[in-house]
Amino acid sequence: MASILKVDTITGVSTAGSIAVTGEGNSTTTNLQQGLAKVWINFDGQSTIATRDSHNSSSISDDGTGQYTTSYTSNMASVSYAASGSHNRNGLSSTTFSNDSSWAATTSGIASITADSTNTGRDCDAVLISILGDLA
Amino acid sequence: MTSQLNVDTIVDKAGSGGTNVKVANNAVAVAEGGSATTNVVQGLVKQWGRINQDTPAILDSFNSSSLTDIGTGTHRFVFTNNMGNANYACSGMAQAEAVARGTQYTNSSNNSTSLVERIDIEDGGTRDAGNSATITCGDLA
Repeated sequence: MASILKVDTITGVSTAGSIAVTGEGNSTTTNLQQGLAKVWINFDGQSTIATRDSHNSSSISDDGTGQYTTSYTSNMASVSYAASGSHNRNGLSSTTFSNDSSWAATTSGIASITADSTNTGRDCDAVLISILGDLA
Repeated sequence: MTSQLNVDTIVDKAGSGGTNVKVANNAVAVAEGGSATTNVVQGLVKQWGRINQDTPAILDSFNSSSLTDIGTGTHRFVFTNNMGNANYACSGMAQAEAVARGTQYTNSSNNSTSLVERIDIEDGGTRDAGNSATITCGDLA
């Protein structure tokens, strides 16, 4: 018989922010908190930029052509997190996605650039970013 | 009344593993720092896959039912369980295979039932990659 346990918050006993979940192979465990994406966002980066859907993102800002900053609702613990992203090509011959040249990742947000093959910033109508790492 | 469950490990009732455990879509977990909370279901990766575009074939995946070859360097992943809408965040990377050939991952024509990954190269063309990986975050239907 299936059982249902209803709670609002899951907290570790030994460490509040550390829950082990048995892995698919039934032997090792994986950390629940560490395995969660802490931020994801899908936004329109053209003209008036707008968030289509997101998790743990408070706002986005337009920093110039193809340049954006995504701010977090709950901050990350450090700047040493993993960010990845993609975007639609928007009719360009070649495009790149990167954080900006100074690795402008802070605990409260990250800057990103979409650019064409000449490294010229280009706005894209679908910019998608995911962040994995430790929340503060 | 709010409730709090303090545990170290979550497994299913039979004790055989975690694959049968269900989590409600409003569940939150205490974050690594011990103060903030994060939504468990929103934070779960909803799809991932690693493919060989040359074959093409899915090498390993989660929540991916099939792969369609659209053209050179361009493939469509079909989800097993659909996303709630097309507004999810997918990203990925591909094997470079040759130093002179830049690799960029772009997305296009995504919808709630599938996503399209495309491997661009620096001269403006596309190419198949022997190894290409995709990760998708967002809301399931």
